[in-house]
Amino acid sequence: MKEIVIDISDDGEIRLETRGFTGKACIEEAAFLKNLLGRETHRQLVPAYHQHQKKPARRYLPLCG
Amino acid sequence: MSHISRIDLVITSLSDLDTACRALGFQFMNSQRTYRWFGRWVGDAPMPDGITADDLGKCDHAIRVPGCDYEIGVVQRGERYILLWDSWSAGGLVEKIGPNAGILKQAYSIRRVRSEARRKGYRIRERRMNQGVRMVVTV
Repeated sequence: MKEIVIDISDDGEIRLETRGFTGKACIEEAAFLKNLLGRETHRQLVPAYHQHQKKPARRYLPLCG
Repeated sequence: MSHISRIDLVITSLSDLDTACRALGFQFMNSQRTYRWFGRWVGDAPMPDGITADDLGKCDHAIRVPGCDYEIGVVQRGERYILLWDSWSAGGLVEKIGPNAGILKQAYSIRRVRSEARRKGYRIRERRMNQGVRMVVTV
């Protein structure tokens, strides 16, 4: 499940965290919320960001001969 | 998860600010050009970007908070709105809106996220936490 978690403190501070995304999709999906709320002042990438989305496996392999 | 961001709030929607005010029991005064404050700049707090001492007391809209002598000024700068208010304790605002107007900013942010996520058809869950509110948007 892909989720964006927004924590808004009683001091008005905003922290946004994406969950369940791989690769750069999280940046694109969360952009609308960042633009909506203001300016991003800090970004921390986590390991899942560096994972590439799985390519679908080929069912039939080309055979020679 | 894949990334974590911190965001500085920029107020850009008057209608969401109005809704946030109503939710808190405040009164949004459309087109009120002055707001009540101490009346003289004493240099006891940093001035917001783009604001000088001459700007204090003037606004494009104002917010009245029940039980407070002072008011909050809403000043338009381009597409964004700046909140101007006097934190002097006699004015009563700090108690109602918190230091840095955090309670008002929180209410605005919640409305902003809620309205946009709904417009996009996303599911939202909200939960009160120890020191704030957590919103979870399922995309």
